[in-house]
Amino acid sequence: MRESTIMKIHYGTALAAVALVAVHILMRLTQGFAESLEYENVLANYKFIPYAAMLELILILLSVHGFNGLRVILLELKQGRLYEKAVSYGCLAAMFGLIAYGSRTIIMTNMGMV
Amino acid sequence: MTQDENKEGIGGMANPTRYGIERVAYWLMRLSGLGLLAYFVAHIYETSNILRGQVGWNEFLELTQTTGGHIFLAIVIGMCVFHTVNGVRVMLGHGGVGVGKPARPDYPYDPASQNYRHKIGIYSAILLAAIAMMYGMAVMFGE
Repeated sequence: MRESTIMKIHYGTALAAVALVAVHILMRLTQGFAESLEYENVLANYKFIPYAAMLELILILLSVHGFNGLRVILLELKQGRLYEKAVSYGCLAAMFGLIAYGSRTIIMTNMGMV
Repeated sequence: MTQDENKEGIGGMANPTRYGIERVAYWLMRLSGLGLLAYFVAHIYETSNILRGQVGWNEFLELTQTTGGHIFLAIVIGMCVFHTVNGVRVMLGHGGVGVGKPARPDYPYDPASQNYRHKIGIYSAILLAAIAMMYGMAVMFGE
């Protein structure tokens, strides 16, 4: 993929994530901060499908943005054909790994498998 | 001066005092990005504790809902706000907003893109991050 396309994805995921993370944080402020983190409240959040879908979207957006950012930083430090391939595929693998792990939590909690 | 004497390596590149606030913003952007990625990975692990049931969740909350945990979260809030505001500034700059008009380079060759608009953007990002940290601490410690 062209770097210019990757940067457009980087900026797009950033802007979308800012909006959704703001909603995610505001949900913590709808009641007391400590109260919002109580087990029953968190479980209810996960079981509310629109909110769970939003969490999944945040997970994907931030994983893409975060690991692409890490890739850019690592490519600034050192260059080379093999190194660049290793960094790019390593970041891609870490990104998919994190999305899979986070999705497991969201799906299992949403389906009541707790 | 020989070529070796002129090489300062990463130390020279990281020196924030020599190249102005833009270099400070460059470093803060990368450090906050790495910090936020580390926090994000930890947050995904932290929230996965809900699968251990109420006991597991409460055990983990005992670790994070402490004075140290709240200070750590305040730092995360600061990093998040700085990264967001400075990121918007960088995006606008890449889009050609606020970088000035192209002109003939004349001595002392001040880059047109490093102008007061972007400096204000950087200082605003730092200020907003500080305000958000204070607000976050007021919310977390206010209970």
